[in-house]
Amino acid sequence: MISKLLEMIIIAGIISMGILAILIWVKDKTRRVTSLRIFIQVASVPLIFLGLIVGPFGLPQFPPVGNAPRDIVIGTEILGRPFPDGLSVPVLACWYPSGRTITCPIWQMQAYLYPFWEPGIGFGWGIIYTTPGWERLIITFSLVILMAVLFGRAFCGWICPFGLYMDLLSHIRRAFGKAYRKMPEKVNVGLRQLRYVIIAVFMILSVILGSQAIFGIQLIQDTQKGGFIYSYVSAPYCQVCPMRPLCVLCEVAVGAMNSTFVFSHTKGMFYEAGYYITSINLTVLGMATLGALAYRRFWCRLCPLGGLAGLFSRFQPFKRVTLLKLNKEKEKCTKCGICKRVCPPQIKEVYELEGGDVTTSACILCLRCVEMCPYEGCLEVTFAGRSIFESRNWLEK
Amino acid sequence: MDFKRSIKEKKYVVEISQREVEELRNSIRAAYDKVIADYVERMKRGWAGRPKVMDYFYEMADFSRREKELIEAKSEGKKIIGYTCVFAPVELILAADAIPVRVSCGLYEPAKIGNRIVPVEVCPVIRSTVGAKIIGLSPFLEQSDALITALTCDGMTKLSEIMSDYKPVWTICPPRLKDTEQSLSFWRSELLTLKANIEKLTGTKITGKSLRRAIERVHRANRVFRKLQNLRKEKPVIMGRDAMLVTQIAMWDDLERWTEKAELLCIELEERLKENNLACPPDTPRVMLTGSPIIWPDNWKLPNLIEEAKPQGIIVADELCSGDRFLYDPVGVDEWTFEDMFTALAERYLMPSTCPCFTSEAGNEDRVNWLINRVKEWRVEGVIYYIYRGCMLYAMEYMRIKHALDHLNVPTYYLDTDYTREDVGQIKTRVEAFLEMLKARIEI
Repeated sequence: MISKLLEMIIIAGIISMGILAILIWVKDKTRRVTSLRIFIQVASVPLIFLGLIVGPFGLPQFPPVGNAPRDIVIGTEILGRPFPDGLSVPVLACWYPSGRTITCPIWQMQAYLYPFWEPGIGFGWGIIYTTPGWERLIITFSLVILMAVLFGRAFCGWICPFGLYMDLLSHIRRAFGKAYRKMPEKVNVGLRQLRYVIIAVFMILSVILGSQAIFGIQLIQDTQKGGFIYSYVSAPYCQVCPMRPLCVLCEVAVGAMNSTFVFSHTKGMFYEAGYYITSINLTVLGMATLGALAYRRFWCRLCPLGGLAGLFSRFQPFKRVTLLKLNKEKEKCTKCGICKRVCPPQIKEVYELEGGDVTTSACILCLRCVEMCPYEGCLEVTFAGRSIFESRNWLEK
Repeated sequence: MDFKRSIKEKKYVVEISQREVEELRNSIRAAYDKVIADYVERMKRGWAGRPKVMDYFYEMADFSRREKELIEAKSEGKKIIGYTCVFAPVELILAADAIPVRVSCGLYEPAKIGNRIVPVEVCPVIRSTVGAKIIGLSPFLEQSDALITALTCDGMTKLSEIMSDYKPVWTICPPRLKDTEQSLSFWRSELLTLKANIEKLTGTKITGKSLRRAIERVHRANRVFRKLQNLRKEKPVIMGRDAMLVTQIAMWDDLERWTEKAELLCIELEERLKENNLACPPDTPRVMLTGSPIIWPDNWKLPNLIEEAKPQGIIVADELCSGDRFLYDPVGVDEWTFEDMFTALAERYLMPSTCPCFTSEAGNEDRVNWLINRVKEWRVEGVIYYIYRGCMLYAMEYMRIKHALDHLNVPTYYLDTDYTREDVGQIKTRVEAFLEMLKARIEI
């Protein structure tokens, strides 16, 4: 246990030293926001999936429940209430292979929603919840709201591993000298609204499939409560999400997961690819990959998790207390349109709004616009009213 | 465009004999040589402790040196492409290994000859350019192999027609509404056509690589230019007209050499700022010029008057397409792919432009914002709104600009003039009255 702790401390130390080194090396942070961002994204991958790397799971043995690193450091409790599945952070940190360090709140919402009135058998191996679902839901939401109010959607731009995946795809496209495509404005806005539809639909589906609420009929074979497949169908979004197959495939590729285990347990047409990956998963991942090759940050435009973080930071009443903001000074803006063009999720508001707070729920706070704005002090990022980054005359080296 | 045909049959015929052309050219040439020498002399006198580098710019102010270089470059097979408006993307010309020169003419006498084709009511830039072409006077206009004209105002529109009698003319048409998607795609396709034309003339293909090199070259010039402008923010380390001359010269000089010299000037000025070695007393009223383009040499009468007047004023900023707007905004490229570079280029020449030929729902608000920002950042104490007679677009925007600047408590002075030298005395009185008023305001 102590050696595990040491390993963790070493990893965390290396990463923080890396960030420090970059901050020192890049004297002017605004010039290199993107390189710093990519570094933080890469550095957070091992942090997010720490449970798998140093955790005691030893996948794919089954059921090898033990203590995840988080369990050792801060325990599986939040304010004295048991919360074993991992901290809810609004990034696509898949629960399935991640090993309980950080967990996707969408999964938690689905898992805890039904039955919310009683404690019971957990999703995870051998985990038995001692608290009712609503209590866990409250903890999940409080964590998400806290994070969203603190950092808004900066998680999407700076930490999310799927965002990193899309950024890398963009780099690959760029290496071939191909230009990105521009999504029609209508479609872009439509996708933005679709995020909330996705959340609603999958929450309802989760209850229906989990409870067999429609006349007690099993919509999918072998989905009786407590059954092997049950836990999977009651998290229907995860059967669609592109992150799960990506995580699992990466795990298989680095040998942290047994491929036979991943691809076995085929149960009928729905689960044709296997237990950890469904064919829908793979299709969506393929589509998201193609989309990310054509458009920048394709998935971010319709990501329900981003929608959740946006909901709790960019809409009233949360908007009033959000700390991280993008500000624009009207008079310094020449409307040159650079901010609009360089924006990965193609947001127009930074360009269109007159001035003041220009952050929107679609903004992933990647700060590319601040980096590329050539006018001193026109765009700035503020945290609790204090300016962190400011646009500058980047012509000066 | 089938320009062979159009050269044969002139659309705008002017009756002038070859002898008269010769005579006029020689006499006017001698006259403006004198004017340039006189103006340079006055500028030298006005700033006795000037840095050594300024001598380079004074030398380039005389067109003959650059003309020789252009003739030399031409004999080496290089193409020279002239442009009349700041809307022409210099980067494309540079990427095709051609030489860009701005050909708008600032000479007074040719304007009178231009009257033979164009009515007197038209702005003197157009008349002068037409007149210079008739008698073959302007060295850059004569040397250029093709012309890029932008259909911004009415004068420029017809100018391109008249010029097509003499040279291949490529017109680019900026949309009058600039912040809609369709305008941008239209403008981008205009530039793509221009690119094809340039490639055809020069025989050089504009690739992503060459475009990137050109953009980076102009970036260097942008950087130095902005440095120079920022130096004028605090204390008057450089006389306004000298800074304006430096900018003017970038329009016909070799951009690389200009960058080098201007960089030297900036370094020198930075040192002077530290030593508090100023070009004029720090309490001199700080004036900003806005309005119609001021073009070297004949048009220099206004900067000369302001900075030689008693009480003296200093021009600290300007919003002129022949000044600040020429090099201030950089091309912001996101990804160095050809597509994105080209879109960035198109946006650079359309979106930040504050030309009054644009309008939008909010009116030409960009110009108002730009002016307000200038006034605040450069601590401008008075604005001279300078227009040519016949420059409708600038004249019509006056009330709006005045209103916006009134809110900042900055007085605006409307000054309409021409290339003519006859009204110097009258303008001098008006400028001095304005400057006196500014001086009084400062003292209060």
